[in-house]
Amino acid sequence: MISILRIAGIATGIFTVVLVCFPVRAAESPTPAAPPQSPPPAAAADDELPYVYTHWKHFTTADGLPNDHIFAIKADGPRVWVGTEDGLACYDKTTGKFRVWKEKDGLPWRAVTGIDVDKKTGDVWLALFGGGLARFSGGRFDHFHQLNSGLVNDVVYGVAVENDNVWAATTAGASRYNVKTRQWTIFTEKNAPMEEIWNYGVSYDQGKVYLAVWGSGCLEYDVAVANSGKGDPWKAYLDPDGEMEIDLYRDDGIIHVIVTGASHVEDALWISTYFGTCRYDGRHWRGFYAKETGLPSDFTNNLKARSSNECYFAHDKGLGVVADFRTDTYVAYTRDPNTLRGKARIYRSGRLLKEVDMERSVPHNFQIAVEVDGNDIWAGTGKGLGWGIGKGYYPGVKANPDWLHEKHIAVVSRQERK
Amino acid sequence: MRSFSLSCMILILFAAVVQAEPGARPSNPTAWHPPLAVDAETLKILEEVNSLNAYQVPNLPLKTDENYAHTSRDLEPFRHVTPYKRHFLEQMEYYGAGRTIPEPEDVKTVKIGFIGPIEPTVSVATGGKSHNEELLGKKMLQGCVLAIEEANAQGGYLRRNIPFELVVSNDNGLWGSSGNEIIKQAYKDNVWAILGTIDGANSHIAIRVALKAEVPMMNSGDMDPTFIETNIPWVFRCVGDDRQMNYLLADYLFRKLKMKRVGIIRASNRYGRFGVREIRDSARRLGYPIPIEMAYQLGQTDFSLHLDRIQAANVDAVVHWGNADDGARILNQMRARGMNQPFFVCDRCVSREFVEIAGKNADGVIGCYPWNPDRKDPKLDAFRERFRKRFENDEKFGKDAEVETYSAHAYDGMNMLIWAIQVAGLNRAKIRDVLAYRTQPWPGVTGDIIFSAAMDDIGEVYLAKYENGRWRYYSREDLAIPRGPQRPPGDRGELIASPQNP
Repeated sequence: MISILRIAGIATGIFTVVLVCFPVRAAESPTPAAPPQSPPPAAAADDELPYVYTHWKHFTTADGLPNDHIFAIKADGPRVWVGTEDGLACYDKTTGKFRVWKEKDGLPWRAVTGIDVDKKTGDVWLALFGGGLARFSGGRFDHFHQLNSGLVNDVVYGVAVENDNVWAATTAGASRYNVKTRQWTIFTEKNAPMEEIWNYGVSYDQGKVYLAVWGSGCLEYDVAVANSGKGDPWKAYLDPDGEMEIDLYRDDGIIHVIVTGASHVEDALWISTYFGTCRYDGRHWRGFYAKETGLPSDFTNNLKARSSNECYFAHDKGLGVVADFRTDTYVAYTRDPNTLRGKARIYRSGRLLKEVDMERSVPHNFQIAVEVDGNDIWAGTGKGLGWGIGKGYYPGVKANPDWLHEKHIAVVSRQERK
Repeated sequence: MRSFSLSCMILILFAAVVQAEPGARPSNPTAWHPPLAVDAETLKILEEVNSLNAYQVPNLPLKTDENYAHTSRDLEPFRHVTPYKRHFLEQMEYYGAGRTIPEPEDVKTVKIGFIGPIEPTVSVATGGKSHNEELLGKKMLQGCVLAIEEANAQGGYLRRNIPFELVVSNDNGLWGSSGNEIIKQAYKDNVWAILGTIDGANSHIAIRVALKAEVPMMNSGDMDPTFIETNIPWVFRCVGDDRQMNYLLADYLFRKLKMKRVGIIRASNRYGRFGVREIRDSARRLGYPIPIEMAYQLGQTDFSLHLDRIQAANVDAVVHWGNADDGARILNQMRARGMNQPFFVCDRCVSREFVEIAGKNADGVIGCYPWNPDRKDPKLDAFRERFRKRFENDEKFGKDAEVETYSAHAYDGMNMLIWAIQVAGLNRAKIRDVLAYRTQPWPGVTGDIIFSAAMDDIGEVYLAKYENGRWRYYSREDLAIPRGPQRPPGDRGELIASPQNP
């Protein structure tokens, strides 16, 4: 950490000299060229439908949760860890019971905003919203904060385990802790391409760490490149138009630089922002706006991808799904605020195909966290936790699927609505 | 990390009418009925937000704007291409479950948070050692203290007859500690709303916390345009921002004065960097790109290197964006070397400190200003008088009893929060609602405060000119400053496809 700070200090000095001695260039910003066209979606018949979750369980404080305001979910085999605004919970899927830890039980701080599990050790790492970072291991909480560690800030939004490292996305940069060497590394604007340092989320997949940075897009950190010491491990994904108030082209890059989450699976990087969502396959970007897809909203708190073809988005107006990217097919799960019944709407290329009425879907429309758990999904909301049970789940689309004939749902097609 | 609480409680518990609005009428006695007179629109908002279950959202109209921030068409980014999507044209709604959280029974005071730079500090966000920001922060605190004390003198929180309490945190920008302070206020102090702060970077950190903790946040001192460009439904700003002031200055420089080469010198911190962005962009879009922009380190006193280059660039005028003392020293060094170009400054330089350092050189300097302190308004005069009486002998505030931008806007912002709490009760979501759905301007001491769809004050901003030993304030109309073409009504100018659904 000391060496990094020293390097950062030298870098700052150089920057200062450059800034003082040379004018800031008032560069022209020509209109960016229109991006290459994304491949058109594959054709699909209207009866080819994505999987729809029609079996849901809801959990609130009445069922043993410590708090109904759900901030984070992490599936871990038979267990599901749940971070709330006031406590940590662990749901045992085999017994159907919750275990709960609050501050009086040793949890270092009440609000748990991120969770990851170290697959090698089973340690549970917790991002604490204003309380730093905690490791839950062997029934004991170890607490890391600004005053006893290299954690750059105690407001931690997200945590991710990368090999022997634990990454923390904080409001003043990212911190990395090596559990073997116990060394901390801090990443800020001084040693990473962070135009702003307000980290919001972090995830790890296939040798790369993805930081979702409010005001600085998505930053990709290549672990192998960093370890080799050759080349720049960082790659920044930004909105090419550089403007806050517009999105010049939908498919030219990230929808907006205020990024809330990044989830990389297979060969696709999915990104959520407060202005819409998008996907990058390494060659093409594709943006998703609610108005043209049927997704519940553009304001997206978080996301989780299941594959390069399927991703779940925690919107403020419901749970949105790019259910089959290939055919441009979407599902929007909501709860009717008046009847409290569940709804799933299926769209293709902005066209409503079917509306599914069911006893329940998501517990509340204000979605904050989402997790993919094998064939199941979990939805963390402003009022309760939802478990979508993926009985008969299938990827992509299928003609005349089994769920369509379940007796407890009512399906209305677009034509019938008319 | 350091914080302290300042109790501003004057327990005069007699019934009183609190800041009733013009045209207000008493409402029906119901459980949610506010203990003060409110207008019909507010009553309708209250009726709606109090009728909801935890899953419903108010069926109330959201604010919409034709174009963002009154930007004229020729100043829109990439104006020759229709963008796919325009943001900030429709007000953000809060869709959470917070409206049904019941008012707690065990409160002894109604806490409102304050976060601002009130102690010298070392700050990464502000560019190193803090540089007089605490002077601005203390003025902001004065405005808040007076608003709280006045509310308490009129009965405090009228539903319970308990006092308001100001919970004060220093905005120490080091390592993003403003986020920790907001967490403390939201979860430990249990404040009902927060006012702050000044530094753009720290404000961004604070509003991210406010969004997740679901607490209303009023800003009265951060002019960073990007502060509001975040789509957070919990954030309000009751002061005109640098975008508005940049547009006015750009129109004056390029459309009115027909200048062609304007140089910029600014602080190399977020305030300077974002403060001039719309001047730079406007200049380029109008066909007169800024030939030179120099950034200086906070705390330096010799600007000869920067001025050498600006002088060599042969500019018609110089714009400065930074603190008052820096601006005054730059001006003095310009004049000393024979650079007699007109000097334009940001609102921080429209101050006594600037004039004291600049001396005679201050004559003719023109600055941007978010309000008109010369406005003839009995409300403003009375506020000045009360402010003078309250602080002229207060050692803690250095007996500084002058009303300026930061104190006046903080007073307005705090009064908006107090009003919202009185009207909505102790529920953060409903406190947000009565401010967010309000369509009438807030009649503040700084003038009418009108929120855009982005919850930003889009009221008029001014140019201040130092002449005959004082600052005088001019509106766009006073100076006949032309305005660029506006987007026609109904033309959102975006390409996004319409849904094809029933």
